Amino acid sequence: MATSVEPRAPKTSVTDQPRLQRRPRVNTEVWSWYFMRISGLFLLFLALAHFFITHILHDVTDTNANFVAARWQNPLWRLWDWSLLALGLMHGVNGLRFIMNDYIVTAWKRATTKAIFYSVVGFLFLYGTITILTYQT
Amino acid sequence: MNNTVYRGKSGQWAFMAHRIAGTLVFLFLLLHVVDVSLVNASPRVYNEVHELYGNVFLRLFEIGLLAALVFHSLNGLRIITYDFFPGAVKRQKEMLWVVLFLTSLAVVIGGWVILHPFFFGSGD
Repeated sequence: MATSVEPRAPKTSVTDQPRLQRRPRVNTEVWSWYFMRISGLFLLFLALAHFFITHILHDVTDTNANFVAARWQNPLWRLWDWSLLALGLMHGVNGLRFIMNDYIVTAWKRATTKAIFYSVVGFLFLYGTITILTYQT
Repeated sequence: MNNTVYRGKSGQWAFMAHRIAGTLVFLFLLLHVVDVSLVNASPRVYNEVHELYGNVFLRLFEIGLLAALVFHSLNGLRIITYDFFPGAVKRQKEMLWVVLFLTSLAVVIGGWVILHPFFFGSGD
């Protein structure tokens, strides 16, 4: 016996609302997105200039302890190098966080990998900061 | 890796290359924190390590770092362009070719400068 098609029950799921009517969420991922762009622009300048000075203008074998001593007499160079350290590590940690989220599927493996990774990077950040601050020319 | 391929065209390869290059630069940064910090522990050991960087294999490694750094920088700039000027996405493939061309140029010129002391001596 042919029956007429029942009208569908109205949908209530949030994903059925038109996209533009949903309240845009401003969360930490949005800040992370801005951070990657802004730190990226700074790093583009800081890192490329750093590479140019230490690998093109000078040969890598000339960047010896005397080179560091001369450079770090100027606190602005220490600030430059520390900015590279801090921004580079934060930009890299966030980038690797995206990659870990994408490829490590099992929850405990992801948590363990992140814990080890953040610890290593945190230690190197402190180590590098101490080096720049305590170096005596 | 099959299940991670999205469309497999230039845009996806640029995305993969961006991640790989970024990871390589980051790993070098971790190493670099340690090698620079040697200057505090012992300037003599620091100097020995930096002599080692003059080895031809490590010079090739240095050129690899240059390639990864320049590619990641320019491709990052390409991505930022689309975020702020969405219309530019229509030209994404051409912009990728520009990024690759400029990266190659930097590698050829920079590579010449970096390998020069190995072939012709440091001139000291």
